[in-house]
Amino acid sequence: MGKTKKSFGEWFRSRKVQKFLVIFTFMFVPLLLLLMYTYIPFGKMVQFSFYNMKYIGKRNYVGLKNYIEVFKRPEIFKSLFVSVYYMGGAVLQLALALFFATLMVFKVKGESIFKATMFFPYLISGIAIGFIFKFFYARGYVLDSILMLFGIAPENIPYWLQDTSINNISLAATSVWRYTGQNMILFLGAMMSVDADLYEAASLDGANKWHQFKYIILPSIKSIVVLNLILSISGSLSAFEPPYVITNGTMGTGTYFVIMNRLAHENQKVGLASAMAIVLLAIIILCTVAQKLFFAYVFDDGTDDESRAAVRRRKKQNKINQGLK
Amino acid sequence: MKCKKLMALGLTAVLAMSMVACGGSGNAETSAPDAADHEAGAAAPDAAGAQEAGETGGASEASGVPTIDAITVGEDYKDLQASIKVLTNRTDIVDTVYKGYAEQFMALYPNIKVEYEGITDYEESVTLRLTAGDWGDIMFIPTSVAKNELSTYFMPLGDFAAMDGTYNFLEEKSFENVVYGIANGGTASGIAYNKKVWADAGITTMPKTPEEFLADLQLIKDNTNAVPLYTNFAAGWTMGAWDAYTDCAATGDPDFKNNMVHMSNPFSKRDDMTGPYAVYYILYEAVARGLVEEDPASTDWESSKGAINRGEIATMVLGSWCVEQFKEAGDNPDDIGYMPFPISVNGKQYAGSGGNYSFGINVQASDENKIASLLYMKWLIEESSIYLDEGSIPARKDGEYPSVLEAFDGVELLSNSPAPEGEEDLFDNVNNESEVGINNNDYPDCEILEAALYGTRTLDDIMDEWNQKWTSAQESLGVEVNQ
Repeated sequence: MGKTKKSFGEWFRSRKVQKFLVIFTFMFVPLLLLLMYTYIPFGKMVQFSFYNMKYIGKRNYVGLKNYIEVFKRPEIFKSLFVSVYYMGGAVLQLALALFFATLMVFKVKGESIFKATMFFPYLISGIAIGFIFKFFYARGYVLDSILMLFGIAPENIPYWLQDTSINNISLAATSVWRYTGQNMILFLGAMMSVDADLYEAASLDGANKWHQFKYIILPSIKSIVVLNLILSISGSLSAFEPPYVITNGTMGTGTYFVIMNRLAHENQKVGLASAMAIVLLAIIILCTVAQKLFFAYVFDDGTDDESRAAVRRRKKQNKINQGLK
Repeated sequence: MKCKKLMALGLTAVLAMSMVACGGSGNAETSAPDAADHEAGAAAPDAAGAQEAGETGGASEASGVPTIDAITVGEDYKDLQASIKVLTNRTDIVDTVYKGYAEQFMALYPNIKVEYEGITDYEESVTLRLTAGDWGDIMFIPTSVAKNELSTYFMPLGDFAAMDGTYNFLEEKSFENVVYGIANGGTASGIAYNKKVWADAGITTMPKTPEEFLADLQLIKDNTNAVPLYTNFAAGWTMGAWDAYTDCAATGDPDFKNNMVHMSNPFSKRDDMTGPYAVYYILYEAVARGLVEEDPASTDWESSKGAINRGEIATMVLGSWCVEQFKEAGDNPDDIGYMPFPISVNGKQYAGSGGNYSFGINVQASDENKIASLLYMKWLIEESSIYLDEGSIPARKDGEYPSVLEAFDGVELLSNSPAPEGEEDLFDNVNNESEVGINNNDYPDCEILEAALYGTRTLDDIMDEWNQKWTSAQESLGVEVNQ
């Protein structure tokens, strides 16, 4: 008896078991939370998407009917085109963030104030930003007053939220305003890790700031650029707060999420909305994979000695040479 | 032998259990009662039994909870100990006016504690909390609960036939002759306007038809600086408010809503300019003729209240509940008037009157809480000053109408009749399935304004589309079309 007890004690105190126990106890709570608030609700949503149901009341199994309907409804896929505005915004936002981050990597006066100011919009809640811009764009309010200060006649100022040719741009601009600072901070963090000696060496070789950016900074931070781009594009597909708060999805600003919200909450078609959510998830996964493949090609560095572009050039040259022979 | 190993596993299990217990402890206080209570609350025949018990003087402990008409506030249950929670959407006055009501009641019943909880985004939050069961004791029944589901969440308050003579608007929250909710007063559907602006524009008689109304708006545009009709488009629900006129006010027929389910193409134009088409015609034409605000996309509901009070806005199409708010919003409360909706059926005007949100009591609450809730609810709708304060039609039929409805002389007030047996939730189903969303989805009404503003579609196009959606909903639900 004593022997087995001892052997268990030894077993229990052994490094392997202790390691397992520590890992298990530390992981248990986060995994439980993840399971409870992410995976179980997600599983439920998948289940709902096969039912014709309201939030409360009886549920009828309808198979794939909800999915078929998602693809048959014109307004659902029209709403995906609205996301194109937000994607355009995302690209602009990344370019701006890269620009500001690069400026700040070369010593600037008042850098921390500038950084804090740029980052601040990200800290405000999306709903609050919606309300801010609702008044910013309202007829005769902030933006119109500013433009009028510059002598632009009121009749030449467009209706920022009503005119269908620009209202989506107005809305996408609010999300550019919100996220540029955050992207900039991420870029700046990556750029800090670049060895400063490289800049010095490059400038000795006669490289200007643009060259330094193109040949030193950009290649060093390409993974964070790609990550930001992927996050921004999938974020654009699921844009919700600006159109929901500012225009409620009216006047042609309804994004996919707004339409989904309307179907689920106002028409009580929970099954259909769940199917829409799953379809959107599939679209986002597709977009992400496509982007990954695209960037793997574009940013491929080839070998350590030679860039991919140089390899392609060399191979082409070889072919030509062979052809000449 | 392997007891230590088991202990080690036990330890982690205890850790896990403590997590679960933390999550659960919040529910313990108001946990669901046993199954027997649940059944008693849900079954209608039992409720009738309880009513008899109540009539013979105070409910016995065994039969549980009396009906609302069997209790006398201020006399019964003076020694009942309970603490109840009331959910409300009026976050603006929950800590002032509503708290004041609760304090007055607690002075009458010192042993009952009444607590309010204000909820923003009321409809959605409450719908989700309902399914959990432990939300509190009294709530405004959200519109998402269909009639056949009322008994799942709310306790029966009494017999419809017995109570119908006493209270207004009972039909809205009754199912199979059992009442589950009593409306917190009601409103009449008409149009709010600034009397001074309308007089300044040279209008002497109130409009009775859509064309007269539009002509008057034109006069206001030509002769004053006020916005003739302010749509409040950006708020969304203000557009949905137009739906409220499509039944009684537009047709003079209290059965219209019930019949609409069986009608083919209910949104078609009628020659005498009545019915839903006429209502939306006013909205469409007012926008198309430039009689509304300059930029509907950037309207602001809160500041519009002051603007109509000051005479910068002439007219707003909203239920009569808005009148008190407009009066309080500035220095000219006497300028605010309320007129019937400008549609005449055979020369006579009608106004729909409907209940506000209805009070419902949690079917899963304990008996003490149910009785305390009944007492508070009855006190609120019969003794408190709530209807004077809110300017609404009282819940009791013998209550006095608010002064703002004086312009409704000669206008018949109607409310929708109860749906025939077996069709209680048919309108809701067709309405949701079609996505036309009468009285529950603002977006289709927004589309009317958009079409008029951009000139992309005619009203007939939109109404044809709605007819089509209505028809396909009727088909998919297998509804008989006979009119």
